Amino acid sequence: MDALKQPRPETRVITGNAAAAYAVRLCRPDVVSLYPITPQSEVIETLERFHANGTLDAEMVQVEGENSAQNVVCGASMAGARVFTATSSYGLVFMYDAILQTAGYRAPVVMVNVNREPPGIHAVCSGQQDMIATRDSGWIQVIAESVQEILDLVIMAYRLAEDREVLLPIMVNYDGFYLSFLAESVEIPEQEAVDRFLAPLNDQPPRPVLEPGSSKGCGAHGLGAGYVELRRKHMAALDRARGKFDEVDALFGADFGRSYGGQIDCYRTDDAEIILVTSGSAVGTARTVIDAKRAAGVKVGLVKIRMFRPFPIEVLTKALQGRKAIGVLDRSIAFGWDCGPMYQEIRALTPEIGTVPLLSFIDGLANMDITKPHIERVVDDIQRAALGHDYQSVTWIASGE
Amino acid sequence: MTTTETVTRFKKLPKVTQYYKNEDQFTPGVAFCSGCTLEHNVRFVSRVLGKDAIFVGTPSCSAPVLNGANDGAWHRHAHYACTMTGVASSATGLRRAFLKAGKDATIVCFTGDGCAMDVGFQPLSGAAERNEKIIYICYDNEGYMNTGIQRSSGTPLGASTSTTQVGSTGQGKSTGSKNMPMVMAMHDIPFVATATLSHLDDYAKKLDKAREFCKEGFVYLHVFTPCNVGWKTPTDASIEVCRAAVKTNYFPLWEADHGRFRMTYKTKKPHPVEDLTSLLGKFKHLDGAQLAALQAQVDKRFHVLQSLCAGFTEGE
Ligand SMILES: Cc1ncc(C[n+]2csc(CCOP(=O)(O)OP(=O)(O)O)c2C)c(N)n1
Ligand code: SF4
Repeated sequence: MDALKQPRPETRVITGNAAAAYAVRLCRPDVVSLYPITPQSEVIETLERFHANGTLDAEMVQVEGENSAQNVVCGASMAGARVFTATSSYGLVFMYDAILQTAGYRAPVVMVNVNREPPGIHAVCSGQQDMIATRDSGWIQVIAESVQEILDLVIMAYRLAEDREVLLPIMVNYDGFYLSFLAESVEIPEQEAVDRFLAPLNDQPPRPVLEPGSSKGCGAHGLGAGYVELRRKHMAALDRARGKFDEVDALFGADFGRSYGGQIDCYRTDDAEIILVTSGSAVGTARTVIDAKRAAGVKVGLVKIRMFRPFPIEVLTKALQGRKAIGVLDRSIAFGWDCGPMYQEIRALTPEIGTVPLLSFIDGLANMDITKPHIERVVDDIQRAALGHDYQSVTWIASGE
Repeated sequence: MTTTETVTRFKKLPKVTQYYKNEDQFTPGVAFCSGCTLEHNVRFVSRVLGKDAIFVGTPSCSAPVLNGANDGAWHRHAHYACTMTGVASSATGLRRAFLKAGKDATIVCFTGDGCAMDVGFQPLSGAAERNEKIIYICYDNEGYMNTGIQRSSGTPLGASTSTTQVGSTGQGKSTGSKNMPMVMAMHDIPFVATATLSHLDDYAKKLDKAREFCKEGFVYLHVFTPCNVGWKTPTDASIEVCRAAVKTNYFPLWEADHGRFRMTYKTKKPHPVEDLTSLLGKFKHLDGAQLAALQAQVDKRFHVLQSLCAGFTEGE
């Protein structure tokens, strides 16, 4: 089909949402379900435009709500299709029962979640609380920092989710507004190159799918021991996903010239005495601040979390061991703990990392910019704690603390 | 009745068996209460639609059989179990995947009224609006039976359930049921029909049409399926109850084939609705006023149906 021929590799200035859509098209999904929500709508609208123009040959299902969006792709995936859907905020939680089901069925669904605050109809603004609300759903969750990384991460997501050693749904997250509508110069790979990158999936043994006329069933999880066994297999698959993600990232680098460090990305951490950990669009700002602080003689490094589920336990432990103090900057809240969720999880690694001052910073809720001065202050706080001064374990920068 | 008696009795096979495509795909011993028409219903659907049909089902009384957890007793259909909220949408996903792969498939959603008319209604309505090429069969036992006989929007006026109880102030359900087959007919889909288990020829013909029409778009069948436990009837009364529902016009048999409404069974002289309610324990508390209200609702709904049918017979 001529229409499916993609343009030559090109550099274009496109938004984060468009980058996601371009990546999805390059991965040739069979079934796409579409439902609008700000700041995601542009993803599905762009895909629909591709479809209307004949450059995306997929079944497009314009559902009546996100719950159906998720069930459609789960069902289609269990029937052997490559699938895609996108959502955000309330949309994500409206599909929550289906999200749990998709994970339980080990359906390799690829979904974009454009991070947005959930409560209040006017909370049309950035925040990672939606992703956090689904952290225990059994999905793989990854987070992009830039528009290029969104595009690359979606392509990697298919390679990871559909790997027979993994077979799990994956949620590609990026900050709403900051990245969804940010236009950056992006390199769009050639169709043939992406086909080649995903081709090894076809050489793997076929995954079990539902077929007409067979007596196969899907969804009877069984009771007692049978159920527990499936849960343990699910856990084991999540465990394997960590190393696989590093591998996929490296293979992507070899094919396309861009790789991102796998589960985490360490920036100027080699000789760092203190570390700032964060994720998403704040990372770019943080890098600038780290450079400035380094120039001023502060031995600070930055760890960017790219994979949040499964949690990068080993690589994070390695990156954080032997430091004098660590700060974690979260764009969401761990209710019941009064701290940020990523901080909470890193704190659970204390036995491995060792007891050093560990500081939680909550910022960037509801579209409040995480500015350079904010991050400078974060680094200063971590530095003071490293020098033995008293410190506040949780700081709500978002409320002016 | 012993097996030999059955064989002697059916020396000549009943007419309806001509619609059977295959042997019973269900083993004996499936987990329904004795006398439950749901078992009859699902076995019948399977025989008429054929063994390639893929069932999509939910938590419900049919779940243990359709979707597992019924150790030892089973069926040979491909099946997909999902949440109550995800039936029509999951079926959509399966169907679209098969379409994309160029595979033929008859996808049959088989759920209770609680799923179809309440918590799974939005996806059902959405799939109908999109005219997905699937069959949706709602077996209407007029309540949430699997969870202990609670009210659903299929529960009729006055019926006693565990969430619409009868007591010194409670008088059963205070509102009528949703006229679900009519609601679905208003979605303008290729085929909508009602059916029940006392009129199997009629049901079989409709299933045959369903198999054909689902190649073109959405098909909805609403099947009156008495639950002897929840309705408080003897185990051998279920078919009699179905017949009474038809004869009283409480559950008329009709179809809308591409929007052309037609009665598929005509009751010459409708019986009063009391002929049905008197059979059912769930109605035994009804007083004169409640009975009159139920009768009025039955009459009104039948009148609407008749005028819809008349619109198409006049010109013929
Ligand atoms: C979302 C959701 N809510 C509630 C339940 C609990 N539940 C299990 S079976 C059932 C009743 C289903 O009723 P219906 O669809 O009418 O089928 P029936 O039990 O009558 O066969 C309910 C409410 C559930 N499984 N999922
Ligand atoms: S509770 Fe009613 S519907 Fe459910 S299996 Fe028993 S008789 Fe059938």
